[in-house]
Amino acid sequence: MKEKTIYEHLREKGLSRRDFMKLCGTIAGMLGLEFSPPVKALGKVLNPSPEEVVAQALKTKPRVPIIWLEFQDCAGCTEAISRSSSPLLSRLVLEDIAIEYHETLMAAAGFQAEKAREECLKRYYGKYVLVVEGSPTTADDGIYCTVGGKSNLEILKESAAGAAAIIATGNCACFGGIPAARPNPTGAVGVADLIKDRPVVNIPGCPAIPEVTTGTILHFLVMGQLPALDSLKRPLPFYGHTVHDHCLRRPFYEAGKFVGSFDDEGARKGYCLYKLGCKGPTTYNACAGLKWERGLSYPVQSGHPCLGCSEPHFWDGGGFYEGQSAPTMKLDKGSTATLIGAGTALGAALAGVNAVKKTRARKAVVKPEQPVSPAEEKKED
Amino acid sequence: MNWTEILSFSRGPLLHISMIIFVVGMSYRLVRVVLLGWERDRASNKGSKLKGVVINYLKGLIILPFIPWVGRTFRRNELTFIAGGLFHLSLFVVLAFGTAHILVWKSLFGLSWKPLPTPVVSFFSSVGIISLIILLVNRLTHPVLKLLTRLPVWINWVVVFLPMITGFIMARHLWFKYEVIFSLHLISVSLLLIWIPLGRISHFLFYFFSRTIHGAQAGKRAIMP
Amino acid sequence: MKSQKTESAINTYLRETGGWVASQLEACTRCGICAEACHFYQALGNPEYAPVWKLEPLRRAYEQRFTPGGKLKLALGLEKRLSDSDLERWSRIVFEACTVCNKCAHVCPMGIELGPLIHEVRAGLTAAGVVPTDLAEATEKQKTIGSPLGVTDEMWRERVDWITDEWEVEIPVDKTGAETLVVFTSIELMKFPDNLAAVAKILNRAGENWTVSSKGREVVNFGYFEADEGLTRLFMHRVFRAAEELAVKRIVISECGHAYDAFRWNAPNIMKVPKGVEIVHISEYIHHLWKTGRIKIKDGAFEAGTITFHDSCKIQRRGGIIKQPRELLQALAGKNFKEMTPNREQALCCGGGGGVISIKEADANRYAVFEMKVEQLREIEAQAVCMVCSNCRLQFVDSLGHFNLPVKVHGLAELVSRSLI
Repeated sequence: MKEKTIYEHLREKGLSRRDFMKLCGTIAGMLGLEFSPPVKALGKVLNPSPEEVVAQALKTKPRVPIIWLEFQDCAGCTEAISRSSSPLLSRLVLEDIAIEYHETLMAAAGFQAEKAREECLKRYYGKYVLVVEGSPTTADDGIYCTVGGKSNLEILKESAAGAAAIIATGNCACFGGIPAARPNPTGAVGVADLIKDRPVVNIPGCPAIPEVTTGTILHFLVMGQLPALDSLKRPLPFYGHTVHDHCLRRPFYEAGKFVGSFDDEGARKGYCLYKLGCKGPTTYNACAGLKWERGLSYPVQSGHPCLGCSEPHFWDGGGFYEGQSAPTMKLDKGSTATLIGAGTALGAALAGVNAVKKTRARKAVVKPEQPVSPAEEKKED
Repeated sequence: MNWTEILSFSRGPLLHISMIIFVVGMSYRLVRVVLLGWERDRASNKGSKLKGVVINYLKGLIILPFIPWVGRTFRRNELTFIAGGLFHLSLFVVLAFGTAHILVWKSLFGLSWKPLPTPVVSFFSSVGIISLIILLVNRLTHPVLKLLTRLPVWINWVVVFLPMITGFIMARHLWFKYEVIFSLHLISVSLLLIWIPLGRISHFLFYFFSRTIHGAQAGKRAIMP
Repeated sequence: MKSQKTESAINTYLRETGGWVASQLEACTRCGICAEACHFYQALGNPEYAPVWKLEPLRRAYEQRFTPGGKLKLALGLEKRLSDSDLERWSRIVFEACTVCNKCAHVCPMGIELGPLIHEVRAGLTAAGVVPTDLAEATEKQKTIGSPLGVTDEMWRERVDWITDEWEVEIPVDKTGAETLVVFTSIELMKFPDNLAAVAKILNRAGENWTVSSKGREVVNFGYFEADEGLTRLFMHRVFRAAEELAVKRIVISECGHAYDAFRWNAPNIMKVPKGVEIVHISEYIHHLWKTGRIKIKDGAFEAGTITFHDSCKIQRRGGIIKQPRELLQALAGKNFKEMTPNREQALCCGGGGGVISIKEADANRYAVFEMKVEQLREIEAQAVCMVCSNCRLQFVDSLGHFNLPVKVHGLAELVSRSLI
């Protein structure tokens, strides 16, 4: 039996053609198709229009099976995506485009659920998208995170084997996240650290912005390939700019007007949060553009400095409320005193050597005693 | 290794190690010099040593940098005086009143104060960079400086210039990605910290010796230092 | 491989390098500003005359022997060890193109006392025996005969007698019970006897109980020019011994800058000095006599055109006797007294001090420097110039003659004695 296309599925659910075209337009706009690097790279002229490219894809392609795994996580990314206030897209992806296995969302539980996963892996081998939330743990063969008696490493490996693409969502899955914070007892790592033979996309964030996750899935669906990635495997359309680049408080940064504390005059006036430890300048994410809660706000807008949650090891990058320029490792008073002591000892040692040399030099150069010249001696006689 | 990792390395271990080298190196150097021994000057005083020292510091900190023309040699050497003075002034303004630097001092010493407006700091940092370039050209062309300048002095120039130029680019968000230029800035600062105990940039410490000595000598002899 | 000569220079440097020397050498930033303060560099433009460059032997000895950095530089071949030829080279720079006037210290942004450091450089060169022949000969003469000009005891007595007759002035010799011992230079004795007579006249008028000594008869200290500590001590010792024998209360140093520097500031640090004996310079003593009313001078007595005052490096810049001669000149010449610029601590050196004038090879340097002095004199159209240092005076008389300029040179004592009432 031929699988239904997405378009057919949507029509069955009662979507009008007009609404379908609107949807295509929204998706095309969101993906920024016209400016999408892969499109440019292919040299394709989008003719007749971007939304028709999307429409074409949705009309011809079947729904994409998705397997959503969770390891060391808080389910925050799932929370974010399921409660996303742009229901159009998340529902679209989670319900209409298809989902086969999601531990938190699926109705099945226990052995039933595991069975469903295994069946799914077999049935869609080579076609499904694997989404990973939470960090795999490597210490002691992964025993710190097991599902149904299987270690997370085992689950990840067998699930990844037949994946068309892997999407790591949230900082934990991407870079180890909070579980990987020093001293990282469970040996948490990012998915891409373990899976080298399948394409992996990182959607870091804490949580990942739902629209970015869904957007990336849609991109894969529409374009048949993953979006262009940066050096940390993050999709460039969403991670091409820093939070600082598009910050609405940026003019205050340029003018040197800073918030000194959370409740000062500057905070009320909406000044720049740099001094409160904002990591915006080094944090690549789409917060400032997409925002949260249907574009309502995002941390910096609400008056809180960026924590840098889309960057590796943001948990260990110095205090959240300490300026970004501050060194992350500090000399405390005790160790400074020790160092000064060491320097002093070194200096004193060399001074000792030099003193010996000086004494030798003093002996080598004869210093006359209170002298009396021969001529004077004669006179005195 | 990507730039994010380089940045966290240079903000953390690299800067840490260079600070350790700086602290150990400077205390070593100071102690080595001081312990060479001091002889008491037994000649009786004609004037007040203290007065001489105070006047000499005022001269060094106010007159020479800001009104150098009262010294008679100024007109023979405007470039070194003006560029040198402006360089030190800019360095002070940027280090003491740049927001990012204030945060560094706050984290290191727990003290913080109000920064100057960014455009002002920016202005001074460009002044500092231009002065440093002028000083370099002067060093390349002046016959005396050509004679005096050996490799270590060129290194001095480079290790001072690099943090200044990278800091300037970073603060203005020019050309480079922020984490790249931030890393370069921190690497160059580390280089500077490591070099200071080895080179003549340590004059900021020995300055107090020579100024005190000259001031005391002048005061003792009842002359203007 | 090691040269004995160089080793003894280096040993001298090491011996002298305490925290005082090292901290100042470390403070140098190589900015080169001192060059523009040096009259030899200004006049001749030779970069090697930059004061900081004159310190090279001392700096190299210090860094290469005392610091790991210096050793590293040696190992990397960035710097060479001091050699005999280096000593020869610096001997020419340090003795022939430096009067140790210490003006450089006043422009150094770090405030480094370059003069005393150059003095140490000279000490090393002297220990190695690389001293200009003329200077070494004069020093030898002072050591054996008692005067760098070769004035023997007999010549000295004859000369004092002659001055007594010629100027009809009483000069007490070896008078026990005198309070004040005046020590002259043989330059004054031989070349400017009028100054000697003038001092005698002033002291007699003031009713001063004074004397000169046949044993401590030379105040000039060529050992100090050479920075030979032993000889410096020997020459001062002669004067101190005479002072002790005569049991005087004070030693008045006549018009010699280096001598004043050595006696006033250096002697207590290198030798035993007689207790309770005050060291004063003749110009401050004359000023003192005038201020206390023991002598009176006719105001405005000097009427022969514009007169100016030349500041000597060791008496004014290093000695602090800046106001006193000026007050006297102000009284003597009134409006006719004009200042050269720069003056006082910033004054331009005559170019003949520090032993330079005794070195024949340095004559060209000396005259070149003096051209700047001539320019200063010309600016204020001075017809006469007054100074309180025989060495400066010798340089002025010689160089004014060389340039054929009709400017009169006066000693301060001479001007005062002429105006006594």
